[in-house]
Amino acid sequence: MDILNDLLGGFAAAMTWQNLIFAFLGCLLGTIIGVLPGIGPVAGVALLIPLTMNLDATGAIIMLCAIFYGTAYGGTITSVLLNTPGEAASAITTIDGYAMTKIGRAGAALTIAAVGSFVGGTIATLGLVAAAKPLGELGLLVGPPEFFALMVVGISLLVALAGRSMVKALISGALGLLISMVGIDPVAGAPRFTFGMDRLLDGVSFVAVIVGVFGLSEILSYRKDPHAATVHAPGLRSLLPSRTEWRRSAPSMARGTGIGFGLGLIPGMTGSVSSLLAYGAEKKFSRHRNELGKGAVEGVAGPETANNAHANAALIPLFTLGIPASPTIAVLMGAFLQQGLTPGPTLFTENSEIAWAIIASLFIGNLLLLLLNVPLVGLWTSILRVPASILTALILLFMVIGAYTINFSVFDVFVMIGFGLLGLALRHLQIPLAPMVLTLVLGPLMERSLRESLEISQGDFGIFVNRPISMVLIGIGVLIIFSPLLKLRKPKALDEDPET
Amino acid sequence: MTTESVMTKPGSAARVAPSVLVGIGAFVAVGVYVLVSSLGLGLWTSLGPGPGLFPFAMGAVLVSMSILWLVQELRRPSETPDGVDRGLVIAVVVSLALLAAVMDLLGFQLSMFLFLMYHLRVRGRRTWVSSLIIALAGSVGAFYAFNYGLNVTLPVSAFSPLNVIGL
Repeated sequence: MDILNDLLGGFAAAMTWQNLIFAFLGCLLGTIIGVLPGIGPVAGVALLIPLTMNLDATGAIIMLCAIFYGTAYGGTITSVLLNTPGEAASAITTIDGYAMTKIGRAGAALTIAAVGSFVGGTIATLGLVAAAKPLGELGLLVGPPEFFALMVVGISLLVALAGRSMVKALISGALGLLISMVGIDPVAGAPRFTFGMDRLLDGVSFVAVIVGVFGLSEILSYRKDPHAATVHAPGLRSLLPSRTEWRRSAPSMARGTGIGFGLGLIPGMTGSVSSLLAYGAEKKFSRHRNELGKGAVEGVAGPETANNAHANAALIPLFTLGIPASPTIAVLMGAFLQQGLTPGPTLFTENSEIAWAIIASLFIGNLLLLLLNVPLVGLWTSILRVPASILTALILLFMVIGAYTINFSVFDVFVMIGFGLLGLALRHLQIPLAPMVLTLVLGPLMERSLRESLEISQGDFGIFVNRPISMVLIGIGVLIIFSPLLKLRKPKALDEDPET
Repeated sequence: MTTESVMTKPGSAARVAPSVLVGIGAFVAVGVYVLVSSLGLGLWTSLGPGPGLFPFAMGAVLVSMSILWLVQELRRPSETPDGVDRGLVIAVVVSLALLAAVMDLLGFQLSMFLFLMYHLRVRGRRTWVSSLIIALAGSVGAFYAFNYGLNVTLPVSAFSPLNVIGL
């Protein structure tokens, strides 16, 4: 009953009117970011971190989490109405979602997607509630060597799963670590790679780096889509799915929840893998599988449930072990760290109240998104009608304000511009960006745990293999890195996912 | 690393694309620089690992992976991806750099107003009316919204005639 008490306490904290407003604003902004094709969840969350820095920790994290899963809801809207996914995780929804639009069932598709997202998200959050205590207690057995080994596993999974080439993924990961090392060294206090600039003693601001690499470079590589269709908001009356549509989508939602939840727990798996596999499951198991591709509601319900279950399940490794499972969550972890919270096992002992308030807000946020999404569909479609030149100008405005307000200095705006160009070059060279974000956030933690471990063992690297937990973890990490030699197959969707 | 790598035109399909070569060269250069400077930082101290150990390992990864990549490219060159819209890149980057350079002098409102007018009216070819409305909302409006709504102060001009009137 302990957990229930903690959760109820969390609800009490999350239901203050300020926190409800933060959750609401986060859901709203998240949906808008999800709807806008030009800006993805990674840059979206990073962009809004500076704006939440003056808030208290609970409010700030509640808002950023809401933005994070709000994007998963918003990405659906353009998939269904426009045949262009707002986010990669909704790409597969275009097939049956857009087909439903063409036969006049757009409203029903959106409602089913929103309900499925709610179901998947809520069940995954229940999983987080159940896993928090036991995994957190296990995590307390973790010392510096185990922590280092755990991060090796997380990073090697992401490197192995990102993009087509492991070589390029390792380059990206090494770059991220090097960027994270700029500034005063955390153990000995020596300045590193500061090029004699005082401003760099505190390091390069990760918000400016991420906004540049993910956000600005996206704008710089923008190309006009000549096939862009015009959008029409579905009428309110068509928003209600028929009874048959409800009945047909229920089993798909159940399958989607299982798939998304399971894959969400694995670092390096992205939501698009979950939604693709969920679509595959519908093709195999659905009773109406021959209708898939022609506007079958199962083709919307399965993948959309899966990607939201995935998004929420991916928070479990972050909260319990301190390991971010995707680039967006790595950015979220950066926000935790900036608020003075260390995600991981100690979160529930040191900041238990904040942790439970955030978990409670996940339930509230999912409910808010369900209520917001469908009735406001007219508003979302009108955002899509805003001309690209205006959107670009406004996104640039927010990037400049976001970068400036990190330290109230134009230096960070220049940092953002520089990293925007780097991001453009990396995209052009087809180097995946995900490993870089992950190592950028984890780098300092990883280095500290490595050096602490070696200080405990007085320089003996044997400490990583003499302790059972870290030995197993390091073994897994090595296995993952050498997996291409073993010719293990990985999901194809990861190659094309722009998030990786 | 460099903008040239992005600007170069795609070469013939059978050869390694020049932009890829520039990229690999840049990564090797950065890697070598890191290796050399981390030696200077000290790899090992009497207390254990020194500040240079971790960067040294990363520099080694960067150099070795870049060389491996070059080998892969020489064996089988990768397809050259689409080029970028050079005009767009130059317009956005130069306008952003100018904005950042003058923001502390002219203040947020005036510099952002000019920046937005450039992107809306000159590049985006929106009408004068809509450009003016959006640019004013994004500069003056954003200034006051952030100042009073979120307690975030954006810079005012360093010059007296401008900052006296609140710009």
